[in-house]
Amino acid sequence: MTVLLEIDDLTGGYRDTNVLYNISARIEAGSVLGVFGKNGVGKTTLARLVQGSLVANTGDIRLQGRSLHALPAHARRRLGIGYMPQTSMVFDDLTVRENLSLGSNREEPDRYFRRFPRLAERLDQPAGTMSGGERKILAFVRAMIEDTRVIVLDEPSEGVQPENIDHMAECLKERAAAGGGILLCEQNLSFLTRVSSWCLGLDAGTVVLDKAAEDVSAAELRSILSL
Amino acid sequence: MAFVLLPVSLLLAALLLVPEVFGDFMAYQIGLYLIYGIAAQGIGFLWGKTGVLPLGQALFFGLAAYATAITLRGDSGLIIDLTLAVAVLAAIAVFAFVLAALIFRGRNESGPYFSLITLALVMIAEQIAGTATTLTGGFNGMSGYASLGNLDPFGGFYYVIVAATVAVSLLLLVLNRLPVNLIARAVADNEPRLQLLGFPTHVIKGAAFAFSALIAALAGGLFASHQGIVTPTSMGFGLSAEMVILTAVGGRFHVLGPLIGAVVVGWASAELRDSFPYWELLMAVAFILVVLKAPGGIAELLESGYRRVRPARPGKRSEPVTAPATKAVDAAGPLRFDDVRLKIGVVCILNGVSFETPPTGIVSIIGPNGAGKTSTLNTITGNRRTTGGRIALGSRRIDSRPPYRALRSGIGRKMQVPSVFFSMSVSQNLSIAMMANRARLVDLFRPSTFAWRSRSLSALLKNPSVPLQEELVQPVEHLPQGHRQFLEYAMTIAAEPRVLLLDEPCAGLSLEETALMTRLVRAFQAETGGLVIVIEHDMSIVEAISDKVLVMHLGQVLAFDTFDKVRVNPEVQAVYAGGTK
Amino acid sequence: MSSVLLLNLAWQISTLALVALGLAIVFGKLRIMNMAHGEFVMIGAYAPVITSSLGLPGWLQVPVCLLSVGLVAFVLERTIIRHLYGRMFDSLLATWGIAILLRETVELLFGRGYQSVTPPISGTLSLLGTEYPAYRIAVIAGIVLGFGALAWWNARSKVATRIKAMVGNPDLAEAVGINTARLSAGAFIFGCCTAGLAGLILAPTIRIEPMMGLDYLIRSFFALVVGGLGSLEGLGIGAGIIAGTQSVLGALANQTYGYLAVLTLSILFLWLKPDGIRSSTR
Repeated sequence: MTVLLEIDDLTGGYRDTNVLYNISARIEAGSVLGVFGKNGVGKTTLARLVQGSLVANTGDIRLQGRSLHALPAHARRRLGIGYMPQTSMVFDDLTVRENLSLGSNREEPDRYFRRFPRLAERLDQPAGTMSGGERKILAFVRAMIEDTRVIVLDEPSEGVQPENIDHMAECLKERAAAGGGILLCEQNLSFLTRVSSWCLGLDAGTVVLDKAAEDVSAAELRSILSL
Repeated sequence: MAFVLLPVSLLLAALLLVPEVFGDFMAYQIGLYLIYGIAAQGIGFLWGKTGVLPLGQALFFGLAAYATAITLRGDSGLIIDLTLAVAVLAAIAVFAFVLAALIFRGRNESGPYFSLITLALVMIAEQIAGTATTLTGGFNGMSGYASLGNLDPFGGFYYVIVAATVAVSLLLLVLNRLPVNLIARAVADNEPRLQLLGFPTHVIKGAAFAFSALIAALAGGLFASHQGIVTPTSMGFGLSAEMVILTAVGGRFHVLGPLIGAVVVGWASAELRDSFPYWELLMAVAFILVVLKAPGGIAELLESGYRRVRPARPGKRSEPVTAPATKAVDAAGPLRFDDVRLKIGVVCILNGVSFETPPTGIVSIIGPNGAGKTSTLNTITGNRRTTGGRIALGSRRIDSRPPYRALRSGIGRKMQVPSVFFSMSVSQNLSIAMMANRARLVDLFRPSTFAWRSRSLSALLKNPSVPLQEELVQPVEHLPQGHRQFLEYAMTIAAEPRVLLLDEPCAGLSLEETALMTRLVRAFQAETGGLVIVIEHDMSIVEAISDKVLVMHLGQVLAFDTFDKVRVNPEVQAVYAGGTK
Repeated sequence: MSSVLLLNLAWQISTLALVALGLAIVFGKLRIMNMAHGEFVMIGAYAPVITSSLGLPGWLQVPVCLLSVGLVAFVLERTIIRHLYGRMFDSLLATWGIAILLRETVELLFGRGYQSVTPPISGTLSLLGTEYPAYRIAVIAGIVLGFGALAWWNARSKVATRIKAMVGNPDLAEAVGINTARLSAGAFIFGCCTAGLAGLILAPTIRIEPMMGLDYLIRSFFALVVGGLGSLEGLGIGAGIIAGTQSVLGALANQTYGYLAVLTLSILFLWLKPDGIRSSTR
């Protein structure tokens, strides 16, 4: 398996305050790395360090061998890092259609409208007028259709109804099967365990669990989430 | 009191020394800078706290200056002069209040538009002052009148200015220590949250603007008497802009900042303007640097220097005081929707929603994304105006009322994304919440109000699982999302609403925290016997807490029944199994 | 209405639309409340003064204007403006400082006095049964053509959408591959250059002096307030109403009344229709 993304001994956070310490992980083509942990352990920080809106203090991130360290977010996107943030995940002032056509895309969104028909109904509506769950779905579809190799998703299932979470899981599996890499930060354990091929548990800014998803027991997950 | 008396007595001593040390002419000049400084203090109060930037403050300055000049020319004696002065000040305050309250009514963001209106107003005023020659003397201005109480501008009048400076500073410093200060800051921080806590923010902004106008007018009156001439420039765009610059350079977050700014800039300008040709350039660069690098201005730099010598000691935590009971609510009873419609632009969000809740209990709202769940709550609190139908709580109609009236009707609301006062500490957030629906106007001016605690809030904080107790002094912006959820929940129930609206209270919470939140909600309902409406996606939570479940789909009610009945409802199953259509 | 009045109206409206265009981009799109907008008009107007004092041929006025305005805008964007995106009040204050800075610099270079320059095209043309300066007719035609081209380009390119996305959510814009630093700098410099061009065009018809910018700033603001931020159509309507009111009332009564009417109109709009006639959300 080719390694798409390598996170190498990463330490970083907000300006001078480190939130994460010595994180290492890798995402192979066709795999989903599931990151979990309690609130405030640094899942969002990890996502943003990879995506480029935060810059690591030490360590490196490589996409197919190329260091991303000094690159701003837009350059990382052009090299193939897609990103769906946890909050402010859509352009509120733009219509759904504009939201979906802003970046360079690998495919048309039509395929996803079968799973999420509400989006197709609302194409010409400003994204800011949609409900929280609908905005999550819009941002998710945007991240899916973009022309990227690794997609970083920060809590995509938060506030989304269970049926649509199922659809999201299918989309992620399809994308992985097509050779993409996915970094999924999630609070929803059933969703996380369903789609992940490898699990990374965080606590207090360090890795406390790092193994293939099928080897992780429910007891292990729970102990990390509710010490 | 030390933190009020120390700066004020230092200020007083420094100002009283000026004529002795530097002589009368310097005192005359300093007096003028102080007059501008007083007006700038008013700008600092309004801008630094509520975030509203007035660009036309010279309007009030100039109006009062002209009024003073006209009065003094009449030569009718000190008593009548002072009575007229009070009348003019009152008229200006009322005008400013009405203007701001009207503009801000129904508008959340303080935005640049209000600033532009004040700018346009001052430009009109300058035009009129320049052309209405009979009243104002036109571009040559008004002069040839005696000063207030016939005091010499180069002598005794300086002490009148000092008295006014000290009085205004003292007033502002005292206000800083009172709950009303917290409320004013909350406007700039998170206006929609403050409204949901029952505060009419347009009135608060109007009052703050009126207060700042009053201070500007006071300065304008002193100006007329001090200078012996009033011209249209005293009411002009240039002066307004200069006052804003003085405020920014001196420091808008500190009471004495604008005074420092006015004196420093005024003095440096007088010293350097003639000898140094690049003086104006230097001023412009300094001003830009302040805006970019030191938004707190000179005062903030001075304070951080002082803090390096004497670090701030944490204030003594005052003993909690039992808060007064909440105000009686207008209405209680079942919540009833009759064919409620909501249209935003061309999009129909609610297409005739009708249901009636039981008067007490927990009702969950479920439904696919975009079904109109949050919009339903928005119509209850008045964050959205319905475009049809009616909503009643008990016998009282509550739709299309502004959000700040919701709590008065007994409705409290927690938002989907935690909405708290981000620039404040946890305990300041809780203090504001404790004032909600309890504080009368006079309570906002009593320091003891800060320590208010209700039994239910104390019980919540003492619960060892709730993460807030150890974080009381922390600024909220550093709290993780989950803790903010608990904070906002605590703030919402602090007002003891009869109807509690919770929009996905468990979003972003861990399993453990979710369990805690559901326990808290159930306990709150059992204790108050009120009505709780929860939007929730997780069916296990819905099953655990709901007395009834309202299923929404495409802006309509699909089913409204107990959980077990809803679960077997074929229409509900169709929606949940097959996506939409 | 006499045809001279009609042509004057066309002149006023078209030049105001060009002056306000830059502010529509910088304030309307980038949300930088540029109080120095008028100063860019002023610098543009000094371009003919520069070329004639250096003895350069007249055709160099346009490149000199664009180069000087563009350079000043570039330096200011890189050093000051880029810190101010998303901080509207701070942008207002800092650009106020910039305005003073530019005025004082120009005063040191050229002195406080009035300057005047001659139009590159002299003579009159016979139009609508009256003789009207050929230069003004050429300018009106040029502005109309320019706006037509801009509308065409705006409809085809995604630039407007990308700017809207960037201003609404800069982090997400970066995440979808928009180089926000370059896009915002480009938009700012473009906006300032159109203001400079407007100054160059107006130069032969006005008195050129360091303080001249304020009036253009205020009228541009009001045109945007009335017309609404965010669309070329709104800009045209706003410029029409503001310039129309001012010149008609100015002709019928006097300039002060024209000015008062414009101010009152703007206050009423801010009060009753704060999004203007054409707002960007529709």
